[in-house]
Amino acid sequence: MGRYHFVFPRWSNLLLPAAIVVGLTAPLYVAFVVAFGFSPKTTDVGYQPVQPIPFSHAVHAGQLGIDCRYCHNTVEVAAKAAIPPTQTCMNCHVQIHPESDNLAPLWESYSTGRPVEWVRVHDLPDYAFFNHSAHVTGGVSCVECHGRVDTMETVWQEHTLSMGWCLECHRDPAPHVRNPDLVTQLEWGWDMDAAERLAEGERWHDINDLHPSQDCTTCHR
Amino acid sequence: MSSVNGNGSDGRQYWRSLDEVADTPEFRDFMFNEFPGGAEALLDGPDRRGFLKVMGASMALAGAGLTGCRRWPREVIAPYASRPEGTIPGAPEQFATIVEHAGVATGVLATCYDGRPTKLEGNPEHSGSLGALTSWQQATILDLYDPDRTRQVHERPGGAAKAAKKTWNDFDAWWKKHAETLGDGAGLRFIAESSGSPSVQRMQRAIRAKFPKASWTTWDATGNSAERDGLEAALGGPYRPSYDLKNADVVVSFDCDFLGWHPDTLAMSRGWAARRNPDDGPMNRVHMAEPGLTVTGASADDRYAMTAADAARLAMAVAAEVAGLQLPAGADMAAAKAIAADLKAAAAGRSIVMAGASQPAAVHAACALMNEALGNVGTTVRYARISQPELNTSTLEQLVSDLNAGSVDTLVVIGGNPVWDTPADSGFASAITKAANTVHFGDQDDETSAACRWHLLRAHGTEAWGDGRAWDGTVSIRQPLIRPLWGGRSEIELLAGLAGADDTAGFDIVRRTFEELSGQPVTPAGQEPPFSGAWRRTLHDGVLAGGADALESPRVDRSKVAGLALPAAASGIEVQFGTGTLLGGRMGNNGWMQELPDPITKLTWDNAILLSEATCRQLGVGSGDMVQLSVGSGSVTGPVLMQPGQCDGTASVMLGYGRVWPGRVAFGAGFNAYPIRMASGLWSAGSGSITPVGGGEKLITTQDHYAIDTVGGEGTQARLPMLFREASEESFASHPNFARDRSHVISTLSLFEETQFEGADYRWGMATDLSKCTGCSACVTACQAENNIPIVGKDQVRMGREMHWLRIDRYYRFRKKGGEWDTSQPASVAMQPMTCQHCENAPCEQVCPVAATVHTSDGLNAMVYNRCVGTRYCSNNCPYKVRRFNFFDYFRRDPLRETGMLQVQPDYYIKQQSGGDPLRRMQFNPQVTVRMRGVMEKCTWCTQRIEKAKIETRNAWVKKSAAEKAADGRVVIPDGTITPACAQTCPTGAIVFGDLMDETSRVSAMHRDHRSYDLLGELNIKPRNRYMARITNPAGGERFPADFVAHGGHGHDDGHGKDADSSHDHDHDHDHDHDHDHDHNHDHGDHSQNEVHDG
Repeated sequence: MGRYHFVFPRWSNLLLPAAIVVGLTAPLYVAFVVAFGFSPKTTDVGYQPVQPIPFSHAVHAGQLGIDCRYCHNTVEVAAKAAIPPTQTCMNCHVQIHPESDNLAPLWESYSTGRPVEWVRVHDLPDYAFFNHSAHVTGGVSCVECHGRVDTMETVWQEHTLSMGWCLECHRDPAPHVRNPDLVTQLEWGWDMDAAERLAEGERWHDINDLHPSQDCTTCHR
Repeated sequence: MSSVNGNGSDGRQYWRSLDEVADTPEFRDFMFNEFPGGAEALLDGPDRRGFLKVMGASMALAGAGLTGCRRWPREVIAPYASRPEGTIPGAPEQFATIVEHAGVATGVLATCYDGRPTKLEGNPEHSGSLGALTSWQQATILDLYDPDRTRQVHERPGGAAKAAKKTWNDFDAWWKKHAETLGDGAGLRFIAESSGSPSVQRMQRAIRAKFPKASWTTWDATGNSAERDGLEAALGGPYRPSYDLKNADVVVSFDCDFLGWHPDTLAMSRGWAARRNPDDGPMNRVHMAEPGLTVTGASADDRYAMTAADAARLAMAVAAEVAGLQLPAGADMAAAKAIAADLKAAAAGRSIVMAGASQPAAVHAACALMNEALGNVGTTVRYARISQPELNTSTLEQLVSDLNAGSVDTLVVIGGNPVWDTPADSGFASAITKAANTVHFGDQDDETSAACRWHLLRAHGTEAWGDGRAWDGTVSIRQPLIRPLWGGRSEIELLAGLAGADDTAGFDIVRRTFEELSGQPVTPAGQEPPFSGAWRRTLHDGVLAGGADALESPRVDRSKVAGLALPAAASGIEVQFGTGTLLGGRMGNNGWMQELPDPITKLTWDNAILLSEATCRQLGVGSGDMVQLSVGSGSVTGPVLMQPGQCDGTASVMLGYGRVWPGRVAFGAGFNAYPIRMASGLWSAGSGSITPVGGGEKLITTQDHYAIDTVGGEGTQARLPMLFREASEESFASHPNFARDRSHVISTLSLFEETQFEGADYRWGMATDLSKCTGCSACVTACQAENNIPIVGKDQVRMGREMHWLRIDRYYRFRKKGGEWDTSQPASVAMQPMTCQHCENAPCEQVCPVAATVHTSDGLNAMVYNRCVGTRYCSNNCPYKVRRFNFFDYFRRDPLRETGMLQVQPDYYIKQQSGGDPLRRMQFNPQVTVRMRGVMEKCTWCTQRIEKAKIETRNAWVKKSAAEKAADGRVVIPDGTITPACAQTCPTGAIVFGDLMDETSRVSAMHRDHRSYDLLGELNIKPRNRYMARITNPAGGERFPADFVAHGGHGHDDGHGKDADSSHDHDHDHDHDHDHDHDHNHDHGDHSQNEVHDG
């Protein structure tokens, strides 16, 4: 036994099987983490909370054809597309189905002045500052982020609203823009073929000289 | 040993015991490694189990959060039931209102988000603001959300120690019964802060109608009674002077801090600054005689350090020269002759002579006489009548003697804190207990309310209707922005109630006062006032059209002035009192003001006894040593701060510290200097004495003091000419490019890949004119309010962890005397606002491992909080040291001064991330992310304001017709649309922001100006902020020799003027090398370093 002779201790025999086990499970673990991270459950796609009043966008925006801006009237001038006050609902509902049980919370709000507490569906992180007016004025339709709300009985989240998803459009806006006058026509363009839709997008992209910023400070302040 | 839950029972909102929770060797090791600087400041008293318990709880909650079914907590949206017309949820609105102190109202525009007032900015249409606000005025918004504000009416019947909870109804009922016993009001007294409010005057008349013999005493701790007395004698009425500095060529101030803590400082700063650019016509010249260094003294062209008594003698000597008054004995005749010569050299009506609160009435009267003799009255000097209480008045002495004589049955204390801040020898504090019934009406359950039977809640200035008068008499309406959070009333509502008036609602009172002032018929009580366009206009503008008392130009009664004598000379240390950042105590519980470094001393959370170097040597003390300072029978003990510029034989102390009342911010900060403030020496007392008492600790300043640190001092003095470039007007005229010639950019090759800006829409830039910066620090508070910057507390500042994004570097320039730096009197004081320079080749960006700090296309150095992992490499690599690291979640800690790291709010570990105290959160600007522990932050140039302007401009552009769009080259944001918070509030307009791509913008012109230079431009980091060299205008050009002009410069003017328009100077000069430069140091004997250092 020379002085420098080194012998692996007996327990080192376990290293090989351990390495094999880890090597086999690690990809599974990575796959799980990735799948979890991108699953709709994590990104909240499909999130569809129960609202205090079963308000149907499908009826109001779809069947009745009420423009989005009738209720969400600050969307063109402000960062937030305001949730309408009880008063807006009551413009019609003092006459239409005033006795409906579903409207009881609305009547309560109307008489007490306390708000109806709607559950937020589209929730960006607090460090992201989205501005509705900048997008709507530039010709980005409601449908690009919110989906066909005019067909939804109860609103759900259509897209991931992740930063990567935002940047897709900021890098190449043409497929997502249109004539700013048509932004609330959610069904517009669904009957066009892809090339036709793109050509229209590119036309408005050029007219309005759209070159959305990809700087961090655009959304993070 | 306190347990984690142990302290809940005594009702405290924070734990002192957490200090004791976790002192184990392991923990100390951990701490020592992570925060070496703070290790010794930590915890004592072991209770490891308790510590682990709280830590465990926090882990458990973190786990629970992860396994929730959604990433974000469920949020609800609560829309209005009926939204007021024109309201946009989430969009800010501004309302015109006022901030008032000591009878002077300043117009402000208050920003509200969804009904929450968040920030105060100056009202450009108000003559006392002109768009700017001082730091304390801005900080009053934080008082609205002060967690220690009183929330309950209470009564201490018969001087009981424990107060009984009551309501306003209880008080009203008590008063109704009690008023019947008061009869004609002979036993009824009021003591109040002065007020310029017309509605208060109207209510005083109502009081007089009900109680004809009631008497009113006015007491302001920060008032200037000598000025009033002097002008009353000289002019025959209650006047205050209103100065127009814009039209003054020579300004002489005898200890009047007109750029600092003067009530009309904003208007005067604006006027002063209008004459500080040598390229915009002749500069003004300010002579300042003062005992302690003030911001005015630091900005003055000629400063004379002398005691207040000597300044008074100097004033009388100047008056003798200028106006033929009798020459006093012992005046500095050399200075007097120089000042008088300068005054006489100025054209008639083009100068101003003013005196400060430390000066006796005789000097104020003499100043009035001098202004008249110089033809200034009616041009640069006019007088505003001070509004008077409209009922019987009595002085503080009379009130105290009446109290002691037992002839006061009921004393009503309206605002203020007279028990604490009346003169120590007035005896008010003990006399107040002699009144049978005492009522205190105030924001805080403070020293005065503890001595009173009733304590009534006063509404904050943003919670109630009111009105007020500016320094020049302009009337403004105070609009409420929010309902009283705790149910307070305003003083007019209180007075109306006491008088049993028919209208007791604030709105009704103010509305009727308005009708009275504007000459309309006054609506009878109980009726709805008719619609009035003028009323709406007044509310909107914040200024009552035609409501300003006309400024007057009364004649001086010369015989009366000659009859006033200077007080007898006193021997001993002359003690000066200053109101300081706490405004004499009013802002005591305001964390922004406590943490704001004093503009001169840079002390935070503390006051000190400022002594000159010679005085210190004489006493054998140094900075931080404790001494006892005595005046008359009073004495206080406090630490010494050796202050350059302080006159020998004087001591300056700031009032408002050392509170006994246990507010969580005010308590324990500094020492109370009121015990040595006597009625005979409110601002300056001649007969003080100092005794060292031993002991002491290091004072907490945010900037090192050269007088202490000689090695650092040498280094700073050597580099100063590069950092802060200044010259006298004379040498500037002969070396117009000195600021650029000072430094050489040897190489423009960058070490790393340079940022490219092709295709950018804008090129943001900033320029800071050092000629105009006074160091007042209003910008620091504006930044703090706008950008949700936390208050960190004294222990954190001690470790250099203050979070201010914008600081003001204050340097002293010393001369060499016999080979040694003469640190007693600085040759000049440099004030340099320092914030992120948004370098194009930003060194911070190169070292960030996670790209958390990156450049935007329009040139901002962006900080992405959610990417930051807290390596702090960027801060290490920043040559300007403007990056700040969140060592803690500061918003969730109490800003206590002597704390351990674990001293946090009790729900710190058990509540989900929330951003802290809900009350404190109401002040947050919702446009700016609230940063959490572990991330770096720094100035963003208010990117939220930039984005807002970009979006609004672009939205308007998109709506244009196709032809108009085609005609526009690019979408230009008009110059002046974007104003960062610092620039918005700067009283002198020293900071300018704009688009460098727009050739016509102010910032472009400033960047092209030959006075502008890049700070540390030799590093080739291309800062986007440029400083403009300071030009001073001393008489004779001698006092501030143009030493820096030749320093490191070329000594020849040829060829160097031509590169003035290149944005990064001196990439041209490969043709002359270093030796060439060095040789030229001595070419111009009159500007050489040698002479300066010997001189």
